[in-house]
Amino acid sequence: MGNCLKGSTADDISLLRGSDSTRDSSSSDQLGPPPPYQESLPVYYPSPNVSRPVTQLTEEEQVKIAKRIGLIQHLPTGTYDGCKKNRECVICMIEFMINDPVRYLPCMHTYHVECIDDWLMRSFTCPSCMEPVDAALLTSYETN
Amino acid sequence: MATKKKPSSDQGSSSSALDSSRWEVSCFWERRLQKELMSLMKEPPPGVTVDAEGAGQNLTQWIIQMDGAQGTLYEGEQFQLQFKFSPKYPFDSPEVTFIGPNIPVHPHVYSNGHICLSILTEDWSPALSVQSVCLSIVSMLSSCKEKKRPPDNSFYVKTCNKNPKKTKWWYHDDSV
Ligand SMILES: [Zn+2]
Ligand SMILES: [Zn+2]
Repeated sequence: MGNCLKGSTADDISLLRGSDSTRDSSSSDQLGPPPPYQESLPVYYPSPNVSRPVTQLTEEEQVKIAKRIGLIQHLPTGTYDGCKKNRECVICMIEFMINDPVRYLPCMHTYHVECIDDWLMRSFTCPSCMEPVDAALLTSYETN
Repeated sequence: MATKKKPSSDQGSSSSALDSSRWEVSCFWERRLQKELMSLMKEPPPGVTVDAEGAGQNLTQWIIQMDGAQGTLYEGEQFQLQFKFSPKYPFDSPEVTFIGPNIPVHPHVYSNGHICLSILTEDWSPALSVQSVCLSIVSMLSSCKEKKRPPDNSFYVKTCNKNPKKTKWWYHDDSV
């Protein structure tokens, strides 16, 4: 079961996960006292429609956020049709109501648009099955 | 003639308006925590008891009593877990530590109560819950073969941040 983590922090920051090199270098030289935890990564946005003063973000960060939002917008949305398979949004733990705006992930897990978008800005994975959401998109970018 | 309308009786739908205003009062994370608290009180996992009164008074901090499972190295022991939630819960993981006089002696539990468990930091997902965290901890304890502290315990306890979420956790390479 639970184990101590290895040092991969590639999750949030690298949209396309191409950065194996950063992973290697970080895992070798940080052992001792805990360095500041990297939770303040600026990738997070309250929600795609809520903007924060851009002055607080570097240009690079803004690009990342814009890319992430772009990817999220590619995921299909709809309104809940009463499907029995997805009864509850596991993020807010509230049952779907007919016509709730929902978003479908490639793994077919369904969430309220508002709930899942907030999460996807932090981590591009499905909360239920941990499937990377960008796997399908990745293949079109990566050559190897 | 029948065109007189009874003002009140037909329009009984005003209660739903009341409900929606209540939604606004308690925000997202409070609602979710209240739901979790209810279900944990109703159907607690075996050996797990939540201090419902305390949690009801302060939703951001729960104390959970955990019994060492039968047939494991921790049988007969009792532990206390503290959960702290931020307003970003469930997008942010809860801060979970063992507290009190009995901190389980386990290769992933430091003597200050910090727990090295990946779902509490990097592998957290909002689909997880207090209940699933408790179950993970129970199974982490249950699968233990030898009671001992993590190899870097004394160093870590001296140098770590009070908040275990500030720690950058690494795998203890004890398998290789
Ligand atoms: Zn939801
Ligand atoms: Zn999924």
